[in-house]
Amino acid sequence: MPGGIVLSDHFVLVLTVVYFLLIWSIYPHMAARRNIANLFSNVWPLLALVIGQMFVLIVGGIDLSQTSIMAVTSVLGAMIMAGRFDPAKFEHNPLWGVVFSEQGGLLAGSGWAVPVAIMLMLAVGVGIGFVTGLAVAKLKMPPFMVTLVAMSFFSGLAIYLTRSENIMHLPESFIAVGKGSIGPVPSAMLIVVTLAALAFVILNLSILGRWLYAVGQNIRTACVSGVPTGRVVILAYVFSGFCAGLGSILYSARLEAGRPTLGRNLLLDVIGAAVIGGISLYGGKGRVLAAVYGVLFFVVLDNSLNKMPLEFYSIDIIKGGIILLAALLDALRTRIASRQTVPEGIS
Amino acid sequence: MGNAKRFILAVLLVSVLFTNGGCSRKDTKSDQLTICFAFQDLETEYWVAAHKAITETLKAKNIRVLQRNAHQDANRQLEQVRDAIAQDVDGIIMIPQDGQSAVTIIGEANKAGIPIGVFNRPPADRSNPALVVVADNTAIAEDAVAYMAKAARRLNRKITPLILVGDLGDQNSIERKNGFYNAVNANPDLFKKPIEVPTKWDAVTTLANLEAALQVEPGVDFIFTSSDFLYPQIKAVLEPLGKWKPIGDAGHVILGGLDGDSTAYKLMREGYVDATGVQDLFFEADAIMKALIEAIEKDRTKPDKWIQDPGFALTQENMAERQMDMWGCRILKEAEAGTTK
Repeated sequence: MPGGIVLSDHFVLVLTVVYFLLIWSIYPHMAARRNIANLFSNVWPLLALVIGQMFVLIVGGIDLSQTSIMAVTSVLGAMIMAGRFDPAKFEHNPLWGVVFSEQGGLLAGSGWAVPVAIMLMLAVGVGIGFVTGLAVAKLKMPPFMVTLVAMSFFSGLAIYLTRSENIMHLPESFIAVGKGSIGPVPSAMLIVVTLAALAFVILNLSILGRWLYAVGQNIRTACVSGVPTGRVVILAYVFSGFCAGLGSILYSARLEAGRPTLGRNLLLDVIGAAVIGGISLYGGKGRVLAAVYGVLFFVVLDNSLNKMPLEFYSIDIIKGGIILLAALLDALRTRIASRQTVPEGIS
Repeated sequence: MGNAKRFILAVLLVSVLFTNGGCSRKDTKSDQLTICFAFQDLETEYWVAAHKAITETLKAKNIRVLQRNAHQDANRQLEQVRDAIAQDVDGIIMIPQDGQSAVTIIGEANKAGIPIGVFNRPPADRSNPALVVVADNTAIAEDAVAYMAKAARRLNRKITPLILVGDLGDQNSIERKNGFYNAVNANPDLFKKPIEVPTKWDAVTTLANLEAALQVEPGVDFIFTSSDFLYPQIKAVLEPLGKWKPIGDAGHVILGGLDGDSTAYKLMREGYVDATGVQDLFFEADAIMKALIEAIEKDRTKPDKWIQDPGFALTQENMAERQMDMWGCRILKEAEAGTTK
């Protein structure tokens, strides 16, 4: 029954498969092994970000600062581990001779460089998430405003720290985190699948997961019921910051550089994929599988548009139109579901 | 059918696709060449004109062109080029976001054995082989600024020069800055310490930074812009200060730039701009296409050749003879001829 499919939790996956088959029938390269590998290599870093964003969306917030966390952590990590800095580009930098020099970053050449840089990138992500979460939960500031300001501040900071320069000469072992593989399995996939499993456990098997949904559905009721709403909101932003740090690691590694503009145009992809997956912007609704489906659809859509001999501007128009259509379908599903009073599970 | 069953069916479908559905690279290859043209954005007249020249010429040669706009996002450009490689294109022409990402993307094309040409914005190093066409930015900027210095010397006073610096992640910006300093340093008795205004190749940033710089140092009387597309911002800042004056008027700020677009040409014709460095856009577009098509025809998967566009400085002195060598002038004259028909 079509209504049943539309209401199914796996509707977006079905849509993705149908769309994929349709495009495959026109463009046989769609299913070529190299293209499939591309598709999935694009899925992993985006999925890390969407999972983080989902936690914030579930508690009824939004995290616009994710992309700026990526930018600032990308340059900070690179400053620690890069093997060489070009004096022509960096000698006027205030950190020249203090944090890095022509011979490289603070820990260049050391076996600790990559692990310390990765830990720093994640820690900074967590720290920024903590600050924004604190502002939302304790100061009762609107999430949109807090994270928008954080986005502006940390994007500017990333550019200030590098004077708008990209940092190259990252260690091979770091690049392998984003581009390498362990046996036949890409390392990025291993990392993000682990993250997804962790998110699944938190949301479905822990008390924190129940609290997250409760806060998103009705924060006042949750508070009356004894849920530590402030801490829950802060934890959601902390997790989002952690995921942004992880996304930064994966994107920096695949681009082989610390970039102050990393992720500058990625926010629409992150929120678009989350919404397409069915994660509600109104809070209280979202699952790991929904994030996976949303990202899959988004990446397949992007990939398919790249196959078509379209003018570049029409690609943007079509992409925007399809995202809008998906959002409309989501609204339709929600309306049908509420009419049929289908009980919505928490997980 | 329950949700779980539908889900299993969907997963099975996907599995079948991914395991058996992979078609070989040559399955669908046609005789028509396909070239992916991946550009970072079309924010300046130079890029728009280059885009037009390349796409129209390729289409006229019956070559299928896949156009990909990365919207100034290096990661998106990497994904677009990877997708094009998976689509088994015959060649790639790229205007990269910056020199660093160009190296990574060229590496992807090299790995796939697909020849790649880089237009106008060179890779940060030559570690990965590619066809590269690039203007001699240092020499062109130096020639333009040298002419501006000659004009400044007639004022018989010390001059305060200012340079609008491009994004330093772009090798072209660095070379243009170097050319500016070569000419300034050749005249130590003429110039005070130059003021550097970062633009990041962004009009809004330029406007804000130039306004701030002129508030701090209102005596600036010599401005070199690293790209002609920033002239409207210069005018917007100078005009309210009463410093937007043509050559010969008291208070004229000596102006120069680099690119050779139609705005620069118009401003030279009206007498506001003293000199502008000109890149030969049509030569560059033609050279990269010829080199890439030759590489495809000769089955060279990793061609390695840097083609230099010597360019020149169009000045108020040589304008009458050389203006038609400026691509911006030609475009403008064609447009003017079109509107009068």
